[in-house]
Amino acid sequence: MDGLKAAVILFVAALLQLSVLGQYAPFRTGSLVLVVLLALALLRGSVFGAVAGFGIGLLLDTATLGTLGITSLLLTVAGFWIGRYGETTARDRFHAPYLSVAVVTVLFAFGQLVLQFVLGEPAPAGLVAHGLPVALVFNLVLTLPVYALVRRLFPAPEIGDRVREVRLLG
Amino acid sequence: MPRNRTVRLAVLGSSVQKAAASGYPSNRSSALRRRLIVGGLVLASLVLITVSFRSSALDGVQGTAADAVRPFEIAANRVARPFRDAAGWAHGLVKAKSENAKYRREIAALQQQNLLDEQAIQENVQLQQQTHFQGPPSVKAFGRVGTQVLTNPQNAIDQTVTIAAGSASGLAADDVVVAPNGALVGTIDKVWSHVARVVLLTDEESSVTATDLTSPSAVGEVHVGSGSDSELVFDRVPKSEYVGVGDTIITSGNLGKGSLPSMYPRGVLVGTVTSESDTDVNPFKTIQVQPAVNFSSLQTVIVLVPPR
Repeated sequence: MDGLKAAVILFVAALLQLSVLGQYAPFRTGSLVLVVLLALALLRGSVFGAVAGFGIGLLLDTATLGTLGITSLLLTVAGFWIGRYGETTARDRFHAPYLSVAVVTVLFAFGQLVLQFVLGEPAPAGLVAHGLPVALVFNLVLTLPVYALVRRLFPAPEIGDRVREVRLLG
Repeated sequence: MPRNRTVRLAVLGSSVQKAAASGYPSNRSSALRRRLIVGGLVLASLVLITVSFRSSALDGVQGTAADAVRPFEIAANRVARPFRDAAGWAHGLVKAKSENAKYRREIAALQQQNLLDEQAIQENVQLQQQTHFQGPPSVKAFGRVGTQVLTNPQNAIDQTVTIAAGSASGLAADDVVVAPNGALVGTIDKVWSHVARVVLLTDEESSVTATDLTSPSAVGEVHVGSGSDSELVFDRVPKSEYVGVGDTIITSGNLGKGSLPSMYPRGVLVGTVTSESDTDVNPFKTIQVQPAVNFSSLQTVIVLVPPR
């Protein structure tokens, strides 16, 4: 059920990103999809984040008719990493979504640049660095409503759901 | 653990603890499962990148998937259009008053210019007929396919847009794409049956031979400037040529040396000169051009289809 909900919310975010936000230069630098993915990964863990990242990356690459796999690779790693952060130290910490979004926004931009460079495609580092502050602010502004919405749609599992095995001591 | 433990006990205790540590099969198996899943996804991504980049084996699959996504993108565009129009209307209202006087002055000047232009066009047509002039193809010789832009560039690196028309509408790779105002947008890079990808003029690998409308002997090459994705450079124009600020730059549509003519028709609007300077170390002029189209927010475009 969570998987279906995540697929729907990511699909809607991708459509908004591609068809609406992408038409305005200031919004184009940020990424609604990235923020939604990170919120999901924080709340549902590393495997969920990685699978969601791979799927939505593939959709973005398909819709923009770009080189397949580039966005998938970056979002898989981002979803996994932030999912691990959520599983280990960040759960229920107020700063976790903001910190995650800030760090991944920077790493995602430079990751894209490195992949483009490795593939021998134009990789304008100056343009990316120039647009990064705006992207950072935009994504951080999006984080509050997006994380609140995703948290409402994906409530933390009950303790009974989280425990899969009980080991009796003594 | 008792304080007076023996060596044997300590060893036993140690072995018992180790056994206990190995008694978390779920943790270990879940960690292994996690690593396997992520490793598999990363591997799949790398395989996709390699295959997609090196061959066109996945083009059919990608085109089919893009076709499947297209109705959703069109629907999202339609839903967003009233809000976009409302925002544009509000923005226009704020600027309308200040622009009104400016446009009135411009209209008066353009009406006079229009009369002179019509006379020049008539003379040009007559002279071409008399001399049986063989020039580059003009825009009029091309068919036109109007279409909607599905996705705009997604970041600073991406300088492509996708459009909702493809080979089924008669489009082919290298067809020239212009905005509704006639300004040059770019060329088609890849075509599927119902979608196509357009590489913008602001891409680092795009360039077009162009000329100054008021000084036709000033021929050069327009490409994106370094450090900005919205400013173009009119390059390789000799210092001896005159190019003034405010001049209009159009495609020159060179016939080339026989086998390699320019794929752009002559007379497509590129932009307006914003600055012009000479330096001692550069044999050519340094000319910056403001494009006549906003590449970041295209909504509809027209593809110029050459007669095939």
